[in-house]
Amino acid sequence: MTTLLRALHAESLKLKRTLAFRMVFIAPLLVALLQFFMGLNQRRAAQPGFNLWETIFNASLVIWAIFMLPLLITLETALLAGIEHGEKQWKHLLALPIPRSAVYASKFMIALALTLLSTLTLFGLSLLNGYALIKLRPELASSAPPEFLKWLFVVLKLWTASWLIIAIHTWIGIRWSSLTLALGAGVAGTFFALFAASARIGKFYPWLLPMNSLNLIEGEPRDTLALLIGGLGGVVAFGLGCLEFTRRDSDEPETSMSRRFLLAVGAAGIALAILGVAMQSAKSDPAPPKPSSVTPADSRPGS
Amino acid sequence: MLAIETGRLSKQFGKRLVVDGIDLRVPSAQVYGFLGPNGAGKTTTIRMLLGLIRPDEGKVHLFGDVLAEHRLALLKRVGALVEMPSLYPHLTGRENLEVTRRLIGAPAGAIARVLDIVALAKDAHRLVREYSLGMRQRLGLALALLNQPELLILDEPTNGLDPAGIHEMRDLIRRLPVEFGITVFLSSHLLGEVEQIAGNIGIIHAGRLLFQGPLAELRARQEKRLLIGVSSPEEAARCLEAANRTVNLRDDGTLTIAGASQADAVDVNRLLVNQGFDVFQLTLSQITLEDIFLGLTKNAETERSDS
Ligand SMILES: Nc1ncnc2c1ncn2[C@@H]1O[C@H](COP(=O)(O)OP(=O)(O)O)[C@@H](O)[C@H]1O
Ligand SMILES: [Mg+2]
Repeated sequence: MTTLLRALHAESLKLKRTLAFRMVFIAPLLVALLQFFMGLNQRRAAQPGFNLWETIFNASLVIWAIFMLPLLITLETALLAGIEHGEKQWKHLLALPIPRSAVYASKFMIALALTLLSTLTLFGLSLLNGYALIKLRPELASSAPPEFLKWLFVVLKLWTASWLIIAIHTWIGIRWSSLTLALGAGVAGTFFALFAASARIGKFYPWLLPMNSLNLIEGEPRDTLALLIGGLGGVVAFGLGCLEFTRRDSDEPETSMSRRFLLAVGAAGIALAILGVAMQSAKSDPAPPKPSSVTPADSRPGS
Repeated sequence: MLAIETGRLSKQFGKRLVVDGIDLRVPSAQVYGFLGPNGAGKTTTIRMLLGLIRPDEGKVHLFGDVLAEHRLALLKRVGALVEMPSLYPHLTGRENLEVTRRLIGAPAGAIARVLDIVALAKDAHRLVREYSLGMRQRLGLALALLNQPELLILDEPTNGLDPAGIHEMRDLIRRLPVEFGITVFLSSHLLGEVEQIAGNIGIIHAGRLLFQGPLAELRARQEKRLLIGVSSPEEAARCLEAANRTVNLRDDGTLTIAGASQADAVDVNRLLVNQGFDVFQLTLSQITLEDIFLGLTKNAETERSDS
């Protein structure tokens, strides 16, 4: 335990002067700025039942959940691992009298800490946004005061639901030294979330879990499942990644994905897609699925 | 007691046997030179000594204990610098030391101590990005010394340094066993690097240990060597090889034959002259350690290609 604390202490020093640390604040700032300008032009302000805080938080958190946080996680984990890939620091770290698991765990935890800090920064900036808008547009002042604790809770749920992607990306970043590969995986994961959102599989899709935690679909609360898969699943995924790392017979990352690994991922993806389509068509109606919902991957095994 | 002892240590990458049944015996409190040409398997062996990779066969004992069973306890007593130093270029020299100090929980004073040993105190506030190769290497050594190791494993620490840097590093390494009682396991592809500081050496080639023992023992093997200056040396070499002699063609165009006697000199001369070569130099002299080293690895090479 003290080893882990020491490792985290060391990890925090490595962040000095890094893009990884600056991005923690840049990412929420971008979202908050966008929110600020949208707030200035808000036309529904005069309508009855308008809630300024609801509007601000919902809009920023949706952008954060669906796209900014997953991309931030991708970038952070890639940069954090990159610090060790640059001069083959692994051979130094792993020859120190500390367990390999502590090295791996400290990487995961520092990624958790940075994304939490970033998400809380967004929370703070959103509050600031609200007060600034009230100052600039007094007609907004009629809104109820912000429900501070409620939103803090929402924000923490969102972050917890992202543990699974943090664990996945921590593993990818450490296992392969290629930055392109790590970023590619994150962009692909985030991009496919757009498709998965409308499918049943969206309930379970890792990159959608932060979004699901917001419970935006009327009459279909998904937050419990999101916390379960995202949070608990994240812990399990971290455990598996850590196990793989401690057992690896090497002090060097792979440079590219082996063909066998790619085939396994491809096969799993196709299987999931087929399962998803099958579940959807079985549930909704007996008619065959619309051609538009069939992705190229699904059509391959049939042809 | 032996600081390092290995039994039939082997490692395979794919189908290639890179380290092939090595039995190292490294005595305490002196410098051990681990010699071999590039690709001989030195770094792979060192990775196994540090538990970075697992041997396919054989065991590593450090200070008498099995590494695989007491890895963390044993690594507490070891410092290492494998290949190029692993530094964080965006941190200062001192911050680099601080990262490792925090990881291993060394006392705060350790940093000043190691900076002093490697004479980097006045550059410690600079970013490592701005360091010269020699400074980086010394910082790498400082990192390895942070935990006050009893055994220091250095993998080609002078690689890529200029002559002044090599000299500095060598003086530093020489001091360690004397002043601090540290055992130094030092790998190199140049005999000249370790000749002046090593007590024992091991010579590895293509994964096999060809020689191990006190440097003095290797010196005792120094025999006479015949140096031949001859017209068209390449053809002359072929002619001598046809007569079953092991010939070394040197860069300057002279030929050498190791382990030669006066009778050999007479023989060789007659042979060459009869074949129509012009012999303009024939010297019988003491051979250098470098020649023995080259001879050992060259013999192993021909044995391998024969089999
Ligand atoms: N991880 C690896 N995978 C495959 N081959 C390797 C690996 N590491 C080293 N080798 C090969 O093993 C041989 C010995 O390498 P090495 O131990 O680095 O030699 P040395 O340090 O003596 O120059 C080389 O031919 C090298 O290419
Ligand atoms: Mg090497």
